[in-house]
Amino acid sequence: MEEGRMILISGGVRSGKSSFAEKIATDLHLQSPNTKLHYIACGVASDKEMTERILRHQKDRHASDVYWETWECAYDVYEIASSFGKKDILVLDCVTTLLNNYLFLRKMEDAEQVIQQIWKDVSNLRKTGAAIILVSNEVVHEIPSSTELVQRYQYILGKLHQQIVGEADSAYLVEAGIPVCMKGEKR
Amino acid sequence: MHFVTGGAYNGKRKWVKKHYPITSYWCSAYDSARLEAPLEAENLLVVVLEGVEQWVGRLLDEETTPSAIREKMAQEIQAWLEWEKANDKRKLIIIGTDITKGIVPIEKRDRLWRDAVGWVYQDIAERAEKMDVIWYGVAQQLK
Repeated sequence: MEEGRMILISGGVRSGKSSFAEKIATDLHLQSPNTKLHYIACGVASDKEMTERILRHQKDRHASDVYWETWECAYDVYEIASSFGKKDILVLDCVTTLLNNYLFLRKMEDAEQVIQQIWKDVSNLRKTGAAIILVSNEVVHEIPSSTELVQRYQYILGKLHQQIVGEADSAYLVEAGIPVCMKGEKR
Repeated sequence: MHFVTGGAYNGKRKWVKKHYPITSYWCSAYDSARLEAPLEAENLLVVVLEGVEQWVGRLLDEETTPSAIREKMAQEIQAWLEWEKANDKRKLIIIGTDITKGIVPIEKRDRLWRDAVGWVYQDIAERAEKMDVIWYGVAQQLK
């Protein structure tokens, strides 16, 4: 089956990544109204802070003029891939929470295995022919951590981002709400 | 000289290898190599110095202030720039990981390290003919 369009959106915390991802998805939807919007939320309401963050994102989507189907999926996202097809537009928010969940909920330790697992999730979504917009974070521009876990986290995310950007149709870095197109056609 | 920077695990080395398939000397701080002085060998043409932030970090043990480190690094780089200038076929590529955009570190040593790296990168970028920032394999040419 033909693979759908893939777009990566990365940026710092509270840079407006999710809003931009939703905007791209909404624009795609308005261009072809017979499509359907889906929001794959990987965050787990593990504490009060996370619950509030999730609520804020939900409120934003409810306030929008278009309908979003929400899928809560902490990991093994590939399992819901069969629900999608060519007429679907997916926003996956976000790669880092997915990574957190594999490391801390599923307690996976091997870096290469985690990379493979997340790549399996992403590529299975793509294989459905749906357009897929991945939201992720910038976390590697700091003093090298002496903690092995942090190093492994950065290694995994860096490798995944390289792989995703390599195959993506376009990739954006969002700086304080302003998207900078790093690859592909600017929208 | 071509300066290549970007965050850790962004594919800087891979990018340099793709753009400079033939290198005669790859001096990497990640293999614990010291920052060597230039060698006058005839077959030495394309040289890559990788991991500037690591060499800067090691200087923290020898020098006391970030400006002394900046000065020392400027001298080392200058020697390589002169080496490059002496022959048209010579090419110098310098790779440095950007470690300057995190939260202010708790340890004083880490704060000095960042300061020194920021300054050294400004100096290298100023002297560079070309500069690229690598973002997950995608290059953004800034100079």
